[in-house]
Amino acid sequence: MIVVKHLSKSFGSNLVLDNISEHIYPGEKVVVIGPSGSGKSTFLRCLNLLETPTSGTITFEGREITDPKADIDKIRQQMGMVFQHFNLFPNMTIRKNITLAPVRTGLMKQEEADETATVLLKRVDLLDKADAYPAQLSGGQKQRIAIVRALAMKPKVMLFDEPTSALDPEMVGEVLDVMKELAQEGMTMVVVTHEMGFAREVGSRVLFMDGGHILEQNEPHAFFADPKNERTKLFLSKVL
Amino acid sequence: MDLALIYEAYRALMLEGDATWWQSFFVRFYQAFIEGNRWQQYLEGVGITIIATAMALAIGVVLGVLVAVVRTAHDQQRPGRPKNFLLGVLNLICKIYVTVIRGTPMMVQILIMGMVIFSSSRNYTMVGALTLGINSGAYVAEIIRGGLMSLDVGQSEAGRSLGLNYIDTMRFIVVPQAFKAILPALGNEFIVLLKDTSMISVIGGQELVYFAKNIVNRTFDAMFPLLGAAVIYLILVMIFTWLQGKLERRLRQSDRR
Repeated sequence: MIVVKHLSKSFGSNLVLDNISEHIYPGEKVVVIGPSGSGKSTFLRCLNLLETPTSGTITFEGREITDPKADIDKIRQQMGMVFQHFNLFPNMTIRKNITLAPVRTGLMKQEEADETATVLLKRVDLLDKADAYPAQLSGGQKQRIAIVRALAMKPKVMLFDEPTSALDPEMVGEVLDVMKELAQEGMTMVVVTHEMGFAREVGSRVLFMDGGHILEQNEPHAFFADPKNERTKLFLSKVL
Repeated sequence: MDLALIYEAYRALMLEGDATWWQSFFVRFYQAFIEGNRWQQYLEGVGITIIATAMALAIGVVLGVLVAVVRTAHDQQRPGRPKNFLLGVLNLICKIYVTVIRGTPMMVQILIMGMVIFSSSRNYTMVGALTLGINSGAYVAEIIRGGLMSLDVGQSEAGRSLGLNYIDTMRFIVVPQAFKAILPALGNEFIVLLKDTSMISVIGGQELVYFAKNIVNRTFDAMFPLLGAAVIYLILVMIFTWLQGKLERRLRQSDRR
């Protein structure tokens, strides 16, 4: 579904991603873990070109999105993204947050988008907040809305950039539950996270990144039970 | 009771040097505002002041938005891709404009415009309003640019990640939030603009201060005409500040918790 070839990214002289090649298959739940500064967020943000790769190519469903001529807006419409800091639009109600993109990109008419929003809000149990503003919600509620907002575009893949890192501990669960449900429905997901429990339970594959490289990857049970790389062992011993 | 008669009587006393403090106060006040229906001149001046402010504001906002859009679009070009040449040239022009306007005094700009560039024009008020508009544009541009830059990049990233194009992201997400953030600064700029219209009088533009100075020349008494002008400016600014407060409260609707 997403094919990454020889992806490198540097900020100035700082090489953040070093020649990464990776394949993400439909239906996979890829969990990316690693210490901070390892390049995992940058890797994720390259996938929908929020960061422009310095070199290398990324192909999404057979179309090369790193091609300067590619219609990046059209491609992004099929890739949902959830941010660490939610990034809800504070000047709009929750309903408007959700329906803005589907309506403006021509995916749906306003009524249809409203209906979709209602269905999705019911699913995350936040229908009563439809006419509230983001400032009136808790962190966990905001993040669930952010997921719903991305889902309203009916994306083929969902990218999560540390979705629970900015949350109070008691709110992490409600967000992870929504993500688990999404995973069970077969959504293709790429998740950068520090939630090892989630990686073990939901992930179909775990990537360990450090220093701009993918040092190790495996199916989660084997990955956590029997890490091969020294750096992975050290990291896991600190976080588990 | 006829004020004119009282005025004549008091004035006669004053010329003889026998008037009390209150009597001479009344005479000076009468001369400044009432004699010969002079209050109409103040009103006319206020009208022109407001028209000049509105014109300068319109010019300033249009110029400011244009410059701010060019400058931010230039600065936000994606790194690693070839820079747009046209945008580079426009950006340079905008930078020169902002530097020159912000680097020279308003008064000098008005004098240059009135006595050098438009020296043959008789329409001093319009020349003055144009100068103020050009001047204000530079400041408004920086205010807007500051507002656009102050917004968390996550906002535009969220918009773009949903597949919205640049224009829609700006229109629905960035600009409404930036506008709310810059409103106090814009209000400030508007107040400065309103008061700076007084400088149009140095090239003969017939706004409030021009008339006030005329009356001073007629009556040889500066205090009341100038205090009157000051009070009128103060009232205008207070009315505007009140309106601005109302608008801010309305925009703050989404902040309630």
